[in-house]
Amino acid sequence: MSTPNSTWDTRKTELELPEEIDLQVELANVGSRTLAILIDLALGGLVLFIAYSLWELLAHDVTEDWFTRMSSNVLKTVLILLIFGFQWCYFNLFEWLWNGQTPGKRLLHLRVIKVDGSPVSGIDVLLRNLSRPVDTLGPMGLIGLLMIFVNRKAQRLGDLMARTMVIHETAIDWSIFDQVKAQAGAAPVPANTPGIHLSSAQWELLHRYLNRREQFQDEVRQRLARQIYEVLKRAARGTDLEVSTLSPEDWLTELARRT
Amino acid sequence: MTLGVFVRDNRPRWERLETMLAFIETRGPAKTDRPFLRELSALYRATTGDLAFAQTHFRGTTMQLFLQQLVARAHNQIYRPHRLSSSVFGRFVFSEIPQAIREHLTAVTWSAIIFLMGIALGLSAVQFDERAASIILPNNILNSIYSGQMWTGSIFSVVPAPVASTYLFTSNISVALLAFAGGLSGGLITGWILFQNGFMLGVVFKLCADYGLLGALLAFIAGHGLLEISSIIIAGGAGLVVANALINPGSYSRSDAMAQQGRSAVRMAVACVPALVTAGCIEAFVSPSHAPVWFKAALGLTLGGCFWLYLMITGKSVKVR
Repeated sequence: MSTPNSTWDTRKTELELPEEIDLQVELANVGSRTLAILIDLALGGLVLFIAYSLWELLAHDVTEDWFTRMSSNVLKTVLILLIFGFQWCYFNLFEWLWNGQTPGKRLLHLRVIKVDGSPVSGIDVLLRNLSRPVDTLGPMGLIGLLMIFVNRKAQRLGDLMARTMVIHETAIDWSIFDQVKAQAGAAPVPANTPGIHLSSAQWELLHRYLNRREQFQDEVRQRLARQIYEVLKRAARGTDLEVSTLSPEDWLTELARRT
Repeated sequence: MTLGVFVRDNRPRWERLETMLAFIETRGPAKTDRPFLRELSALYRATTGDLAFAQTHFRGTTMQLFLQQLVARAHNQIYRPHRLSSSVFGRFVFSEIPQAIREHLTAVTWSAIIFLMGIALGLSAVQFDERAASIILPNNILNSIYSGQMWTGSIFSVVPAPVASTYLFTSNISVALLAFAGGLSGGLITGWILFQNGFMLGVVFKLCADYGLLGALLAFIAGHGLLEISSIIIAGGAGLVVANALINPGSYSRSDAMAQQGRSAVRMAVACVPALVTAGCIEAFVSPSHAPVWFKAALGLTLGGCFWLYLMITGKSVKVR
């Protein structure tokens, strides 16, 4: 799972929906967008490399055999089409069919959307991708990088022309809000103990830790428990938990039962 | 209401919306039925309400972030643009593309003027000094012309026509699309591409005329020349439309002008793609063949004429949106 509030993409922008809700989206920044492009280029390069190797293998085999000659010609044609397709169709096709995503973008949870929040149409995709030679590819990429860096919505020239922007999506994982199970053999909460009030941020911190602690190594798990215990112990002031002798982790589990 | 209670009460709804979204995102709306869509729209509205509540009471929490993701995804599905259908495609081809070109005939004219200037300069450069040709033409073509032979014969006898046609139309389409994209450089790249192609044509013409190959050259380009030159001029026009929006946005902001003009410019550029595929196939299959000249000329004129007729007449009755 990718962590919410990614440290890469910190700029946000407001979107207004027809339902009169302001939606804040996380803009994808120079780093993630460059990485996505590199992944796409590597993928296309790999396909081209395989096609080129095949062609090299067969094209030099100039025999009288008509089948070999024909397959060499077919491969040559396919190779030319592949290079062309990668240059002009790869980004267009994927962003059009995958609703604003290419393989690289999908891997990094990026998506192209219109600046008003609606999904991209075919024309938008064409506009932003046909302009790549001028602001993405080769040395011209510097122009695109600079634009993404400077522009408020991180739009390069092609994005401006198509009125699109690239956002960073967060993978949704509701399991971090799961109710925490009491430990086996724990005494039931005494009937008349008052509930402990936590702020939403504190409650979320507590549950994110408790629901994900199995993924940590023991040492990290203990250290995090101590840190969170330090933060949350003030909330338990005036209850029997204040003087509890439980270990930090057990103390946090106990706290979750009282909220 | 605390965050814990809020999540516990509403989580089934959000998870249901998420599964429905996953379904519609991968399978498409055509695979859904009426009750599904009703439920989706109801869940969407309910979740928007939850988001509004979360924005007031639980600002800055991860849960709010998750709800935003969910609402944004649902919004994407509910307000998605029309998928490609035959009617959308037909409207694009038979009214939007020709309308875009008729709207920007001035830019196309300017593009043609730059191209003609290239031709004129190419002609006069060779007239002035024959060695000027070596700036732009590769040696094997030059030597072939000097010895009084068309270079096309030797090239097309080695490379089989299907490979040659693929190579020709892919490189021509690349040039045309680059001429469009070049508009974003303020027209510099567009102008250069137009000028360079015109210059090359001028040089070849003058050189062939000097060495008695004019008839052979005309016979060679009769089949595909008109279509190819028309396409490059239209693509150049598309680039100039973008450049004009960038340099001279009028009462709009630069990015607004660009976004507005770019929509019709990209349609102009797309119009060149099928034309160039056709031209490339003729150039490789028909032009080097021993078909009679009148046949090549008739083919070229018919196709070129049809292309321009299509651009000038089609979709006139359809109202501009």
